Amino acid sequence: MEIANTAPQAGGLSGLLEKVCFTPAGLVGLAVLIVLPLIPPFNQEYLVRWLVQAAFIAALSVAFDFTAGYINIVNFGFCAIMGLGAYTSAILGLRTGLSPWVGIWTGAVTAAALGFVIGLITLRLRGIFAACLAWFFGLALMGLATKMVWLTRGPLGLRAPRLFETSSNVPYYYVILAMLLATYLVTRLLVKTKMGLAFQAIGQNMEAARTSGVNPVYYRIVNFTLSCALAGWLGGFYAHYYGILTPDMMHTSKTVEVLAVAYIGGRGSLWGGAVIAFPFIFAMELVRSSLSSLPGLNLIIYGLLLILVMIYYSGGFAEFYNQHFRKKEARA
Amino acid sequence: MNILETHNLTKRFGGLVAVNNVSMHVQEGDVVGLIGPNGAGKTTLINAISGLNPPTSGKVIMFGRDTTGKAPEKMCRLGLSRTFQIPRPFPKMSALESVMTAAIFGNRPGKVQDPVALSREMLAFVEFPLPESTISEQLNTVQLKRLDLARALASHPKLLFLDELASGLSEGELNDLMKIIRKISRKGISILMIEHIMQLIMQVCNRLVCIQFGTKIAEGTTEEVANDPVVAKAYLGSSGE
Repeated sequence: MEIANTAPQAGGLSGLLEKVCFTPAGLVGLAVLIVLPLIPPFNQEYLVRWLVQAAFIAALSVAFDFTAGYINIVNFGFCAIMGLGAYTSAILGLRTGLSPWVGIWTGAVTAAALGFVIGLITLRLRGIFAACLAWFFGLALMGLATKMVWLTRGPLGLRAPRLFETSSNVPYYYVILAMLLATYLVTRLLVKTKMGLAFQAIGQNMEAARTSGVNPVYYRIVNFTLSCALAGWLGGFYAHYYGILTPDMMHTSKTVEVLAVAYIGGRGSLWGGAVIAFPFIFAMELVRSSLSSLPGLNLIIYGLLLILVMIYYSGGFAEFYNQHFRKKEARA
Repeated sequence: MNILETHNLTKRFGGLVAVNNVSMHVQEGDVVGLIGPNGAGKTTLINAISGLNPPTSGKVIMFGRDTTGKAPEKMCRLGLSRTFQIPRPFPKMSALESVMTAAIFGNRPGKVQDPVALSREMLAFVEFPLPESTISEQLNTVQLKRLDLARALASHPKLLFLDELASGLSEGELNDLMKIIRKISRKGISILMIEHIMQLIMQVCNRLVCIQFGTKIAEGTTEEVANDPVVAKAYLGSSGE
């Protein structure tokens, strides 16, 4: 991990790419994602639906990694906070007729406020304790969504207005792709500043960070708030894409799905999870649809893959890629 | 002028009194050795002073103001740095980034124009033997201690705590370290060092403080303390036991 001002300044095209946080390979990948729903067989609706889902998980994993990979707190309540954003946006849309396009921003603000509170409370806690506390918040949120039937309709499901009038998935795909890109750029640009150095310092060694003058309170709260804001924002998309919300979406197993993608992609890389999400979600959907007699098999596969990654490549796909495909001096 | 004074500093962990009523001082320009048997409370004492583990009672006066229990990040900006007994680097950062963390966050805003240049200067100052891009988790203990020292120096300290910097060093490395400590002292930085290696203590320290079971048993010039029978007894045990 190098931060911008230590990397040699490259001129011309690669310098420009460096500024927008993309490698040439990354840019090609993005171009492929943009044209993918236009070329067969990916132009079929059910495959575009998978693409939307993959891009959604990819964006969540980037926002998740911003906290887990940098300040080293695993937010087990991540999807519950995403759900808070989703419910906020959906309820406001239903009760006040607020446009979903505005609603997803209110979801982001609500989630950010809760992220701020959780960040504040977990300040004195280290690693696993902070993770547990965030998890309990998540469980409480899910409990509220289940029990406050008058507001959320509980397990019956809350219908939310959709973003577009069409039944096609393609416009949704481009929206979520843009959201993925924005999530990546915002987090990437932030970790390239001195703030990123502070995140890493408090994540890797709290004592040394504090004796080096890093104020852990400030940076932890900033990180947590932003990560949760992004989760809530993406949750808004979820609400207005699927059109129905149940408390299940806030379940810990959904967070584990995001965690698996982020870790297999590579902790602390931001881009690893975004890249790995696409083949991964496709593979999982194939497993789910072809082996429908064995529900829950995908969870076993998550577990096995995570174990393998932890043993052989703790840096995930990003580490694997950097070791084998990237020239040393070109590492970002 | 006293750059650091402690007044009746006490640190309790439940029923255990780890540091008991210690009053000591460090003068500007001093190299003070903090000695004592294992488990005497030396590290606890400097943790209490530096704010990592605030004292139960007593007072710390640093740079002429009361800093008792102030957060370590605030102390750092006031001019206190420290290294760790077991070096604590940032495992996934490069050597340069580790030092830059202190260069950027450990100084008052605007004081450091070019943190990269300052960090390189500090790595050169401690004679860090490897390329600056080396990732910390690949370093051995000796290299980590050098890196930790460079990090501690990058925040422009007026007072520096060194916690067993010399343990585990070879003869040659010890000589190098001695030179580096003298160089730091010549820059006008006052030093309080926990150390066991008498050779190093006798050569670089001008004053010593000795503690045993959390209590100060001797303080004075290096010769005085080193020849104090009470200190010899603390280290070697009395013949009567």
